[in-house]
Amino acid sequence: MYQIAEALQLTLFSIFAISSVAASIFIVSSKNVFYSAISLAILGISIAADIALLDPSSYSIYSVFHVLLYVGATVVFLSVSLVMFRGLDVREVRISWAPVVSLIVVAFVFVAVLASLSNVPPVEPKPVNLVVLAQDVLNTYWFPAFILIVGLLTTLVEAIALARRE
Amino acid sequence: MILVSYYGIALSIILVGAGTYGLLNSKNIIRILLSSEIILNSSILFVFSLSSLIGKVYNPIIFSVFAIGMALTEVVVAFASIILYYRVKGSLEVE
Repeated sequence: MYQIAEALQLTLFSIFAISSVAASIFIVSSKNVFYSAISLAILGISIAADIALLDPSSYSIYSVFHVLLYVGATVVFLSVSLVMFRGLDVREVRISWAPVVSLIVVAFVFVAVLASLSNVPPVEPKPVNLVVLAQDVLNTYWFPAFILIVGLLTTLVEAIALARRE
Repeated sequence: MILVSYYGIALSIILVGAGTYGLLNSKNIIRILLSSEIILNSSILFVFSLSSLIGKVYNPIIFSVFAIGMALTEVVVAFASIILYYRVKGSLEVE
């Protein structure tokens, strides 16, 4: 039974991984950025699903947050606001060294991760306790939380100003 | 499950490559913003994959919540700048 659940978890993770890679390729290659923004929503949902599948008992709470705040607010704001522009088609640019630089970046990150993970013993995470999480935010990380609230209020004011075309 | 964590790290590295390619290979300012969002998503996935590997639970959740909130603020501010740019230049292309 445990092996079936593990296989199912791995299969679902692979499906959402393929979906996220396809969405990211579509974002960088689509000729219309409106469709790229829609594809960013698919990427956000796939990443949220992958995070939840990493450890469902611990990270599913963040996964819900990712879908609600990132996909529900950021991507929808981006997609709706793009309607304000005309001529959203992207001019094709061929930079011959761009794929080479991207591959170098991927190789560099891969080597850095491999080097840093070589001495790390794997440990299974414990299930998340919401009371501990809330106490951690309110006691230890209260100042970043305050900055975040101020930032989100600023965003609200700015969105209203954009809507009024000021 | 340890294997999924390694897959998550590999996926985040692939997404960093795709985002870097989009950043370098486009002249449209919105495409550049979207490519940076790909890198943001991949970094969040990387944080969670690494944390699930070493058994951490609370730190990745707290840091990622702050990161996503700040990303929302950043997108709105960047979008206001893009609108100003569009009004001045009349196009969305970076020179």
